[in-house]
Amino acid sequence: MSLISIEAASAGAAPTRGLPSRETLTRAALAIAAGAAWIAFAFVTRHWPDAGEWGRGEELAQAAAGFGAALFLAGLLGGLWPRGAERLRRYTPWLLALGLFFILWQATTAKLALLPQPFFPPPHALVEVFVDDWPKLWESVVASLKLELLGFLAGAGAGFVVGVSLGWSRAFGYWVHPAMRLIGPMPSIAWLPIAFFAFPSSYSASIFLIGLTTGFPVAVLTWSGVASVNSAYYDVARTLGASRAFLIFKVAIPAALPHVFVGLFMGLGASFAVLVTAEMMGVKAGLGFYLQWAQGWAAYANMYAALLVMSLMCSGLITLLFRLRDRLLSWQKAEVQW
Amino acid sequence: MVSLAHDIAREPGVEISVHEVSHRFDLEGAPLPVLDRVSFTARRGEFVALLGPSGCGKSTLLRLVAGLEPPTEGVVAADGARIDGPDPSRVVVFQDPTLFPWRNVRDNVALGLEAQGLLKQRGARIDETLRLVGLENFAKALPHQLSGGMAQRVALARALVNDPDLLILDEPLGKLDSLTRLSMQGEIVNLWRRAGFTALLVTHDIEEALLMATRVIVFSERPASIKADIAIDKPYPRHRDDPDLVERRREILGLLGLDASW
Repeated sequence: MSLISIEAASAGAAPTRGLPSRETLTRAALAIAAGAAWIAFAFVTRHWPDAGEWGRGEELAQAAAGFGAALFLAGLLGGLWPRGAERLRRYTPWLLALGLFFILWQATTAKLALLPQPFFPPPHALVEVFVDDWPKLWESVVASLKLELLGFLAGAGAGFVVGVSLGWSRAFGYWVHPAMRLIGPMPSIAWLPIAFFAFPSSYSASIFLIGLTTGFPVAVLTWSGVASVNSAYYDVARTLGASRAFLIFKVAIPAALPHVFVGLFMGLGASFAVLVTAEMMGVKAGLGFYLQWAQGWAAYANMYAALLVMSLMCSGLITLLFRLRDRLLSWQKAEVQW
Repeated sequence: MVSLAHDIAREPGVEISVHEVSHRFDLEGAPLPVLDRVSFTARRGEFVALLGPSGCGKSTLLRLVAGLEPPTEGVVAADGARIDGPDPSRVVVFQDPTLFPWRNVRDNVALGLEAQGLLKQRGARIDETLRLVGLENFAKALPHQLSGGMAQRVALARALVNDPDLLILDEPLGKLDSLTRLSMQGEIVNLWRRAGFTALLVTHDIEEALLMATRVIVFSERPASIKADIAIDKPYPRHRDDPDLVERRREILGLLGLDASW
């Protein structure tokens, strides 16, 4: 069965039959090329002997071959399900590039050992970690998430309250503002040695440090948000009979929310650094600890696997925050897309 | 029916008296006088236009009447009681609609009732008022989706939903295109005639003042003082080409020192 006849058959109600359009050909070619790259990757992995000892090459080759075959078929038969093929079209350039990258990675590590070993493990060494060590990795992710969320939520809550109070009360500002100016810009990590003996456990010390890191940008941006609320909003609300509480909760805070989210975003980003450091230095759990442990045993594949998982976790948390923002600030015209 | 009982319970409108009011702003230590011994009384149900060159201090006078600021000297009173703060019986429509962008049209209109805790009691007024300004189909729209005229209609509804005794209009049509402006001038007059509140309109548009008000007070340059107080005893709807109004317009232009330019 040829490409052309499939395309003609699937064109259905389209006015012109016969030769497929340029886009259709590109779409099919890209999927087929991506499929071919993954099959080639499987072939290299399976049939080119390794220069050293790494497990799970067989499984990786099978999975890559299966994936490549699926892509290949999707390229051939895409015309049967045009909407699915169109969606796949968005990813095929990346899939093709990834397939080629994996071949290069495989060749320069396991096959030719061009990159110094054992610092650059081949792909199937990572697969081995994920397959054999996932319970420990998963446990670390859960521990990291728990610590991160405890610290972040505490810090964001405290920062928000401080920010609103700074924007609203002169007396509060008089006492808190100088302290915040002094302590806020300092990297929280500097507190680490003190925090570890001042707090009852290294865990509670880490919650405090993550909270401190998150709280500072949230407080500053909430404050600037509240301070920059258009005074005409207050005039309108006051002439309509608004109480002080109404002005704070129904005018100042909603108007300041876009700023608050910038603060939350900055705080979340900064808190990841503290999380990993705290886990490496004192907390005996989490991805940071896993990384540290893997380095101690020269288990480099485990390190890369943990890095990959960590980046997925951080990116996932940021995505979650952006989703929340889009939901709460849907009245705004969205500015930054994550 | 609740609103009907409410309407019967009291007579709409309020008498506003401005007595010997002077006001100064403090600009980096140097006092800037904006109002100079202004006195007038707006009777219950009257539609008074405050006309003057832009920047003369008319809008400041409205802020004093609304209770948003206290006057430096003199007294502003509503039905004889000194005004010392804002009150929902005196609502303002500002030059900018200043809708809350995070609230949809209906929730913006509900603002006053919500702030006063009357949402349950008088919530039905919200949809009624939206119909009154012709926006019943835009209840769920967000402010950034509205045109300038529609946004100002929402601001008007947000004021009227409180059944005010005094409607303070601070150049509410100043930023609208001329066609929208014309139609809204007529709409505001109709709403005023139906509801019977007292209205104070600040404008620098002579024609607008003559078409809408029962009385036009002409102010001087800053610091503003009253130059003339002119009754416009004409039935509605008025026409801009009415010879009496054209005559009045010429007279006011003269008062403002602009007779030579036209």
